[in-house]
Amino acid sequence: MANRVAVDIGGTFTDFVSLDERTGEIVLEKALTTPHNFAEGVINAIEKSGVDPRGFAQFVHGTTVVINALTERKGAKVALITTQGFRDVLEIQRANRPDMYNLFYQKPKPFVPRRYRFEVRERVNFQGEVLQPLVEEDVVAAVEACKAAGIEAIAVCYIHAYANPAHERRTREIIEELLPGVPVTLSHEITQEWREYERTNTTVLNAYVQPAATLYLSTLDRELSAKGVRGVKYAMQSNGGTTTFSQAQRLPIHLVESGPVGGVIGAGVIARTLGEDSVIAFDMGGTTAKVSLMDRGQVKINTDYHIEKTTTFAGWPLKIPVVDIVEVGAGGGSIAWIDAGGALHVGPRSAGADPGPACYGLGGTEPTVTDANLVTGRLNPDYFLGGRMKLDLARAERAIKKIADPFGLSVLDAALGIIRLANANMRAALERVSIERGYDPRDFALVAYGGAGGLHGATLARDLRMKKVIIPRAPGQFSAWGMLMTNLRHDFIRTHVMPCREEELQEISRVFTGLKADAERQFQEEGFPIERVWMELFLDLRYKGQEHTVRTPVPQEALEDGRLHLVIEKFHELHEKAYSFRLEDPVEIVNFHLVGWGEVEKPELKPIDPAGRDIKRAFKGERRVYFEELGMIPSEVYERDLIPPGEPIQGPAIIEEPACTTVVCPDQQVVVDELGYLVITEVER
Amino acid sequence: MTVKTAMDPFTVEVIKRALVSAAEQMFAALGRTAKSSVIYEVLDYGVAITDAQGRFIAQANGIPPFIGVLGDAVRDVVKKFGKEGLEEGDVIIINDPYMGGATHQNDVVLVMPIFYQGKLIMFAANKAHWNDIGGMEPGSWTPSATEVYQEGIIFPAVKLYQRGEENQAVVDIIASNSRIPDMTLGDMRAQAASLQVAARRVIQICDKYGLETVLQAVEIYLEQGRQEALAQLKKLPKGTFTAEEYIDDDGLGGDPVLVKVKVTITDEEFVIDYTGTAKTCKGPINTPLSALLSTAKFAYKAVVGPHADTNEGFFSPLKVIVPEDCVFNPKHPAPVSTYWESDSYAGDVVWKALAEAVPDRITAGHFLSVCGTIVSGIDDRTGEWFFSVEPNAGGWGAGKGKDGENGLVCSGDGETYVLSIEVAETRYPIIVDQYALNTADGGHGQWRGGFGLIKDYRITNSKAYVTASFGRNKFPPWGLAGGHPGTPNEVEIRTADGKVEKKGRFSNRELKRGDVVRFITGMGGGYGDPKRRDPQAVLEDVLDGYITPEVARRVYGVAIVGDPPRIDEAETRKLRGD
Repeated sequence: MANRVAVDIGGTFTDFVSLDERTGEIVLEKALTTPHNFAEGVINAIEKSGVDPRGFAQFVHGTTVVINALTERKGAKVALITTQGFRDVLEIQRANRPDMYNLFYQKPKPFVPRRYRFEVRERVNFQGEVLQPLVEEDVVAAVEACKAAGIEAIAVCYIHAYANPAHERRTREIIEELLPGVPVTLSHEITQEWREYERTNTTVLNAYVQPAATLYLSTLDRELSAKGVRGVKYAMQSNGGTTTFSQAQRLPIHLVESGPVGGVIGAGVIARTLGEDSVIAFDMGGTTAKVSLMDRGQVKINTDYHIEKTTTFAGWPLKIPVVDIVEVGAGGGSIAWIDAGGALHVGPRSAGADPGPACYGLGGTEPTVTDANLVTGRLNPDYFLGGRMKLDLARAERAIKKIADPFGLSVLDAALGIIRLANANMRAALERVSIERGYDPRDFALVAYGGAGGLHGATLARDLRMKKVIIPRAPGQFSAWGMLMTNLRHDFIRTHVMPCREEELQEISRVFTGLKADAERQFQEEGFPIERVWMELFLDLRYKGQEHTVRTPVPQEALEDGRLHLVIEKFHELHEKAYSFRLEDPVEIVNFHLVGWGEVEKPELKPIDPAGRDIKRAFKGERRVYFEELGMIPSEVYERDLIPPGEPIQGPAIIEEPACTTVVCPDQQVVVDELGYLVITEVER
Repeated sequence: MTVKTAMDPFTVEVIKRALVSAAEQMFAALGRTAKSSVIYEVLDYGVAITDAQGRFIAQANGIPPFIGVLGDAVRDVVKKFGKEGLEEGDVIIINDPYMGGATHQNDVVLVMPIFYQGKLIMFAANKAHWNDIGGMEPGSWTPSATEVYQEGIIFPAVKLYQRGEENQAVVDIIASNSRIPDMTLGDMRAQAASLQVAARRVIQICDKYGLETVLQAVEIYLEQGRQEALAQLKKLPKGTFTAEEYIDDDGLGGDPVLVKVKVTITDEEFVIDYTGTAKTCKGPINTPLSALLSTAKFAYKAVVGPHADTNEGFFSPLKVIVPEDCVFNPKHPAPVSTYWESDSYAGDVVWKALAEAVPDRITAGHFLSVCGTIVSGIDDRTGEWFFSVEPNAGGWGAGKGKDGENGLVCSGDGETYVLSIEVAETRYPIIVDQYALNTADGGHGQWRGGFGLIKDYRITNSKAYVTASFGRNKFPPWGLAGGHPGTPNEVEIRTADGKVEKKGRFSNRELKRGDVVRFITGMGGGYGDPKRRDPQAVLEDVLDGYITPEVARRVYGVAIVGDPPRIDEAETRKLRGD
């Protein structure tokens, strides 16, 4: 018996997915998330599932431990050691004022107060030449001060350290000698891209979360082993790949978006199996909706991620590769409200899981999107969580009346209005990842998942005239499922500004060779067989004099003599696509980027068994559902797991399954395909 | 609460969102396709969608003084051509600082009428900084101009596109007048194309909801803006409030320039009256009327509703009075190309007048000046010219319950980022010796002003030039409610042979290898009596090295003793006379 298992910790539930390698059987389970000790929820979910841990061939874990330590400010007491003259970089930041009309704006507070930011004499220039050798007495003095202050983790970030990390390495030796046991983060081990504030902050935040992450991962590792888990344990990273538990403890900051990326990877996988390689992943949960675009199968990764950044707050930057996800405050729990000028809003405030929407009957009285879905007939009050929880229609109506009455509207119209407004917010997010970045949504399929994705996906796709909507199996636990489909991934990005031309080929190859060696060393340290490692090369290129760069793939043969023009031509083409013009100007390299992949064997997707599926048995009856175009109309209701593959059902229709509901609009049709996905398309008339 | 609307409020809201996102898409499209980094990196541009009368419905801008400015441009276009003189596919170009929508000539406005089923229903407009549009010096704007003709070519609202066709005559004139024609025409076409993005989206919205519904929704939305503003006005204190300030000089080294304001708030109106402000200046620090009006909108919005939706309705209670022949309404052909040197005061003086009355929205004075710098020269390593052009961040004022912010761009800048020193050292032949908080002695208060910055550029090239324009060099930021004033902005040149020169402004000053130019921005003003500052906060400031124990004792009346430092409570009581 061998199972591939993924466990994903979410805000409310910890999701468990197990896939039997032999039979293709999937086991799903959830347990409540246990913020006081996340490992407990993980173990609970495993125990509840009944799957024998001794049979886990592979364990992939998406965890919120890092983002929680950051947002709840429960990290370590950190000190920073930096170059003389630059301890205030962490406080000056980039000095922008996103909340530009608010004179009371407060910029992000540094995670290390000034008194624990120590300067030492040392300096290298951008080419890595030493201008001032490291004065070791300064380091000793800083470490003594850390000792006296009871510092729990130390970040070291020197100016231009990516060009020459010798001083950082020597500094670690001194710290380890004088203060053994205190974890040290060196900037160049996390990021080798320029920009001192972003680098320093990333280094500091890694140090900040390290003790908590180490404690968590080592505890979980121990408990899993005690349960008999023998397989390799991987943690899901923000870059869309996994890493081993031990590596994750060294650089835990890479787990910051550990959960949401699983779904994005999964969306890419199932879309490919359906012959769609351009998709938008749409994950709608209780408090937010997240969207991410994949162009020709490529997940978009960038290194300008920020935590807690909003339209009115600068946030804290992390210069690490993170899957590009846009998030808006629209989820099932989002609350509808009226402002002082009489305008209506939905979100970003959310009733969350506790008290939750009014219809949960757990004390919530504010009108939410879930209440609106119930009142308009989209949700079945008797079949929520498969009937384990009864939804209270009267409470939902009472809550929505708060919005309806001031406008003299019926409760029903107000409920539909709430849905339309939530959709308008999500549409804006979909437009942001597509139209605003030069993509036409009509070329994309929408993969909708999360607890509420199926309720809204079809309407959004229609509004943007997208090709089709795909609802995966178990959409509520789809992020965990996606984690089963990932490979190991490590990114090595190095700023080295130089001309991109044939004459520099030797230098270009030299830098890539260095990165390759780094990558191989990394996989070896993880004990990963090198024959299953493959690499992708990229250059971040720009026209000289321009600021923005375009990440351009570098095929292996381009590094042979006389072939660099392949890269340059590709750059012109990509630049034109992204920015609408090309220039004659010389092309310049800013960053070298190597992605090391460790190929993990992945489960084969098996067709569903049509036996026992019958459209008549699947049909559960009709109920009246309120649609924008047609008003209250009778809609057929089906049980998802009984629908036979290949038989189209005409909208308006509601497809129910225990954890999720899918709405099919009038003039759309839905088919269960052979792999069990719901595929919704427009019907030509 | 009862809300009266003629149509279902969700449709209003959905249409509003769609129009706002049409503006945001125009903003994104222009940022993405412009060729100049001043547009896509500094975000020195703005966009708007207005109704057929020029009332702005939705907008997006990267810097606050561009708020609402484009409505004036649309109104002037309608005035000049008449609605019957505009056709589908027309794009009108304007940058005349003596017309609506203009700031200085570098900021070029394009306006496009949007037609639906043959009827002119709305306008799309945008405005972006062009790097060079001719004039007496490279880059067009210059601190030494004495009339507007020296500051670049002037477009007095002419058709750049006619029925979708580029007007070759105008394009040729632009190309012949710019030092960098490719860049300039590239930006121009990006601007024109982004207008199309907005127009297409507006037409889609009309297709979906019907024109009548859309226009009705716009009316309701503008009315909501007005109601929101009136609701906020009701909460503000009523009365007349005055203030005055001085600008360092007229831009050419003359006397300080007086700025005066009288603000009157009633339940229905918010009147800003600049009567008494100095006459038109000789140097190019004059603010064109249109720019002044939009800065007044910014000042008003910061007081009335910093987070309110922004549309013309929200600004309808605002009235602005400016005398003729004034630094804020200059007499043609006075120069205007460094208008921000006076424009920022137009907002600051309003806040100064209202600060004590509206303590929950207004903080004490801040360093105010853009503190723009240019370091240039011919790089010894490549033989090519380099130009490092950047704003500097400084200290902001304290407010009731809040210390000032340390190192933030000035009010005239918004989503503006300061340059990374690692990037600067890679690109330019300089070494940065320090980039630190300026913990000068000033800005004290119950809540302390924020710190400005000190940045040292050491020249590693054989020769380089520095231009720096640091306002608020003679008159530091104002304190509030008994808080101390901040400290001035200043530039120091420390030559390799040990000489030091300090001034607010340097123009193309030559530097040699080893010379250091130190850019110093000031602290913001403090709020309240420093003796009332929480002693614990004073101790924290000492621990963080923000203030010295000596200042703690002398200014804050807090005795800090011992190592590790702690508060001597008895001595503190004595010092504070408690």
